[in-house]
Parts: sequence; structure tokens; C-alpha cells
Amino acid sequence: MAIINQATKELQVKIVYYGPGKGGKTTNLEQVHGNVQGVQEKGKLVSLATSSDRTLFFDFLPIEAMAIKGYKTKFQLYTVPGQVIYNTTRQLVLRGVDGIVFVADSQYDKMALNVESFQNLEDNLKTLKLNFAEIPYVLQYNKRDLPNVAPVEYLDYLLNNREVQVPAFPAVACRCEGVFESLNMITRLLLNKFINEGSRKAT
Amino acid sequence: MPGLPPLIEEDVQLMDSALDELLRKSEATLALVIDKGGPVIHQRGAVGQFDTTTIGALAAGSFCATQAIAERLGETHFASIYQQGAHLSLLFSNIDDNALLIVIFKAELSAGAVKYFAAETARQIVRQFQRAQQRAPGESIDLVGENLLDVSGVFSKNRQN
Repeated sequence: MAIINQATKELQVKIVYYGPGKGGKTTNLEQVHGNVQGVQEKGKLVSLATSSDRTLFFDFLPIEAMAIKGYKTKFQLYTVPGQVIYNTTRQLVLRGVDGIVFVADSQYDKMALNVESFQNLEDNLKTLKLNFAEIPYVLQYNKRDLPNVAPVEYLDYLLNNREVQVPAFPAVACRCEGVFESLNMITRLLLNKFINEGSRKAT
Repeated sequence: MPGLPPLIEEDVQLMDSALDELLRKSEATLALVIDKGGPVIHQRGAVGQFDTTTIGALAAGSFCATQAIAERLGETHFASIYQQGAHLSLLFSNIDDNALLIVIFKAELSAGAVKYFAAETARQIVRQFQRAQQRAPGESIDLVGENLLDVSGVFSKNRQN
């Protein structure tokens, strides 16, 4: 749940990067940290990783963006550990989530892992009594530069097969391609959600 | 479990006064109220000396992880974590389902006294959050009229890299 402080004019939102292990979630945060410009303030990228550089608990990057309607907007970007064994940790990181970037691995041999991770996301949100339908999310089809990738249409068929499709972005996160497109779109969806809630309140 | 409602001046004043009183009575260095999802809700004390944003995110993760361990041990009552340091110590106290109170204090101070005063502060904050829930459940920030095209590039990429 976003933190809204009307007295100090602050809005804080939490975006979680979710997806299978070694899919590029941490790389997304590293690229945002390394390349973002024009923001009010960029914090340190904190990584709680194993000795083999795999995410153990989470990566965390705080960024303060431009003011919106006079509100300071603070974004907290998190990744979850993708490895199957860390499910409890993923649930902890999902706590209070406002928006999700699902980072899928485009390689053919990772399709089962993508589907499993997406199902795991739905299950974990249910466990936390969060309604997936009410949480904005975008899909990022990462590693498009590799030779054995599935067509985007196939990834859409597996992960985005619904009446109203969510935005999906091809990406090569290690080259920062698709990274900012995904982040800006989830930001837009999040603010859109606030506007819709504001409209409902007004009527 | 409802989330934290939008906070107004009354909530901030109450937290200012409750945290200031805690800092004065306990002689602690810093007090933070954080959401269990990670964001800092309010802070008082030596704020400029610490990276409180990162402390909030790590403290939320640490407390919730320890709480998950306690649940697996069949322990239903889990109210606080105390970490003794050489120079500074930490106390994480549960406020309610959504929030935590973090107190950073000099290691030579009595942890028992800090814990005692923190418990009263947590109770004051719980009462205020309950009042806030009754005041405006589910109320949101009003962004109606905001031009979303303007926010499509909230985060821009450095083209030189």
C-alpha cells in the first residue's frame, strides 16, 4: 500500500521486480541505478546477495522522482530472489507492494520457469490476501539478444493471455534496453490507479 | 488488514510529539516509524546522520523475517527485536499489523528502559492510526486532472552511457 502523507506532501510507492532466477531482475535495478537522470535524489543500491552473487533476500533502490501535484514522489524498487527455495522471502518482499514488473527470460528452455514463477506470484499474492487484479503490473521479456529466444507472441500467449492484455516490453537489460520503458510504464499505471481511485471518491 | 490511511497534520503532530517524548525520556538518538513494507512513515532525532530510507527497508525485512521464523516455531507473540552494538544499539518494536517502531540508541544506555518507553510510544501511535482509519478509510491522494502523458518519462535514461 502506498504511503500518502498529506501533511508533508509525500507519496511513497513500492515496485517489486518479480520473475524466475537469473532472469535479469537485479540487472534491471543496476541499470536504473547506473543510468537514471533528472531525478531529485537517487539512493544507494543495496543488495543482500549470496557469496555467488545470487539474490538472497532482496535488492533495494530508493529514488525520489519529480513532484506530482506538489507531492514528493518516492519510489522504492525491490527485487525478489528468483530461486525456488526462497519462497518465504518472496512473500516478505511482496508485502505492501503497489506495482510489479515481471521479468521473464525469453529463452525457449526457460518457458516452464517463467510460467511457474508467474503462477508463484499469483499464489503469493493470494497468501498475502492481495488481489492480483487490483495491482498494476507490466511484463518485460528480457534477454532478447540471445539466439534461442521464443517469439514475443509465444511469451504473450503464455504470460499475457487474457481479455485485456497488460503492457509488455522486449528487453536486453544488460544493455539497458527496455529497462526504463518498463519502469516508466509501471509508474504510469500506478498513477493511473490513484487517479481512478480519486475519481471514484469524487463521484 | 487495511493499509495505512493517508496521513494528515494531526497524525504528524501526534507522531512528532510521541517520538520526541520517547527520545527525551530514553535519551535515544533516532526514532523511526516504518511501514512493514519498508517505507519510512515518520522520523525524529538525528535523521541527517543516517540513511534512514535504507535502514527502514532493511529493518522491515529483518523484522518480518524473524517474525516468520518465530511463527514456524509456533511462537504467536512476537513484539520486538533488540540488537546490541558496540557503539549503537537497535530496538525494533511492533506497532500494529502494518507498522514498526525503530529506535537507535547509544550502547551504554539501558535497553530495558528504551524498550519500556518504546512500548508506550507504540501504544500512542496505534491509537492515532486507529483514529486515522476511522476518519478516512481508503481515502486516496487526488490526482484527478493530472496529465499522464507528462509522467510517461518520470525516469529518463542518461543517453551518454
